[in-house]
Amino acid sequence: MPVKIAICIKQTPDTEARIRIAADGQSIEEEGVSWIISPHDEAAVEQALQLKEAHGGHVTVVALGPRRVERSIREALAMGSDAGLHLVCEPMPADASVIAGALTKALRPRGFDLILTGEQAIDLAGSQVPQRLSIALGWPCVVAAETLSIKGRMVQARRPAEQKEALVRFALPGVVGVNRRIGEPRYPSFKGIMRAKRKAVEVDVAQLAEGRMIIERLHYPPAKAEGQVQSFGSGIEDTVARLLAGHIDTQV
Amino acid sequence: MTEILVVGEGSAGSRICSVAHGIATQTGWRWARLRLSKSDTHAFAEAVAKCVQDAKIVLMGATAMGKDLMARVAEHLDVPLAQDCIGYRVAGSKVVFIRPLYGGKVLAEVHLAACPALATFRPRTQPAYQGAVAILEHVLTPSPHEMQVVWRKVGGGAALDVARADIVVSGGRGMQGPEHWHILESLAAALGPKAALACSRPVSDNGWRPRAEHVGQTGRVIAPAVYVAVGISGAVQHVAGIAGSKCIIAINKDPHASIFKVADYGIVGDLFEVVPALTAAVKALR
Ligand SMILES: Cc1cc2nc3c(=O)[nH]c(=O)nc-3n(C[C@H](O)[C@H](O)[C@H](O)COP(=O)(O)OP(=O)(O)OC[C@H]3O[C@@H](n4cnc5c(N)ncnc54)[C@H](O)[C@@H]3O)c2cc1C
Repeated sequence: MPVKIAICIKQTPDTEARIRIAADGQSIEEEGVSWIISPHDEAAVEQALQLKEAHGGHVTVVALGPRRVERSIREALAMGSDAGLHLVCEPMPADASVIAGALTKALRPRGFDLILTGEQAIDLAGSQVPQRLSIALGWPCVVAAETLSIKGRMVQARRPAEQKEALVRFALPGVVGVNRRIGEPRYPSFKGIMRAKRKAVEVDVAQLAEGRMIIERLHYPPAKAEGQVQSFGSGIEDTVARLLAGHIDTQV
Repeated sequence: MTEILVVGEGSAGSRICSVAHGIATQTGWRWARLRLSKSDTHAFAEAVAKCVQDAKIVLMGATAMGKDLMARVAEHLDVPLAQDCIGYRVAGSKVVFIRPLYGGKVLAEVHLAACPALATFRPRTQPAYQGAVAILEHVLTPSPHEMQVVWRKVGGGAALDVARADIVVSGGRGMQGPEHWHILESLAAALGPKAALACSRPVSDNGWRPRAEHVGQTGRVIAPAVYVAVGISGAVQHVAGIAGSKCIIAINKDPHASIFKVADYGIVGDLFEVVPALTAAVKALR
């Protein structure tokens, strides 16, 4: 059965990027930052493509944010997604509930069977968008999925939680937030990149509610005192052994 | 009326009680712990939302279940939610939550302009609460839902979950293969029942260790009292999961390995020599 899939991606700074706090003290300096598709979301794109390859269907990449976000949409198109939807806003909202609200408004009328997201974005780590989408739409939702398959209208996903694990099943439509461990995303092929240039990206204005999670101040974590790094045999191993022994049976 | 509610039980919940108690002391508000009879996140979110809707602040441990449940509760109540907090500050009747952004490279002080304010806290960042606790019992009614559980498994790994351990002994690709893990197991065993094992992502990707032990940006985020990194290079994505540890000890043969930049103590040497020597020394000191 072909599935109509929306995959919501967030553009975030590269994991390796140096993060500098901007002069306003509430946002980060964007200059010089290289942007990527947030890793869990990128893995969700891969899952969407695999489902399409197995069952047929259509994959729409959805991203909310300023102009720069279009590059990430093109990247997901180059991987093999069929169409793009860019919900434009500037700046990026800091409150994840605002993002989820705008996505809900855009996705509801478009009639998707399955909405995929990453379980969290690596920038603000809000960890709530898939659940909010599902509740706003009245659909079932599983997050942190590490496997995902579809049979007919039934979705099956495995989700670990600490030392527990469950395999859950629900009928479409539904929302799945995936973990990167579900599988590494493919690289776009040269052909894919060329094709992506001709694919349609619909541009719409993001309908944003007022943010209620307000970042009052950003600061750097307190600098750590420089560690003691020495070669084995210098006596450092005794210091470490005493420290470890001191922690045995003591509660913190 | 109880202004502050801590949702859920277990040792994570008891650490979250420290936050509730701390805020209560500074604001004069009352706090209590809400015991839930059931915790299936998809079925009980609406019922939990009803229980907590009149509170000013609702707190829960930032466990996988806690974060999933609170995300759903937040949407039911149409309020914002601060996940994974590591601290708080009270100014008058205003509470500011502190949460790490960008993999811990920056900390944000956030204010939630809504009632109730919902936040999850990383349990290990808070001290265990020893005082008396008022408990509210609620029998929750599940909402109709379409999620079926095909099967559920518990355990399959170590006795102690890595996020609950005081001491974590973690192995990376430098371990060269699962057949060498016994040297880490011996060290962990010498460190007693509050020690657990963890690993870097390539280790779990290679199937050397279970996925539940994978720490980092795409794995578990932990904050033990002591983290021992063995044969781990210290990639930013790894460090994002362990930076909250109170003390980091690194063992690596490469003196320029990045892990030494975040380590409190570093031993430069071959792990196959260093770890057994440490295990022996710890045993001698016990
Ligand atoms: C999007 C994304 C997300 C990621 N998420 C995570 C994550 O969540 N967690 C994670 O861990 N990684 C993650 N990674 C991978 C990360 O970038 C690194 O590749 C990984 O952490 C490296 O693992 P390692 O330190 O075990 O291996 P390596 O980098 O190969 O390091 C092995 C180390 O062992 C040392 N060594 C070798 N032999 C010995 C010996 N005999 N004695 C002593 N030392 C020795 C070496 O000097 C080296 O420093 C992610 C990467 C990406 C791109």
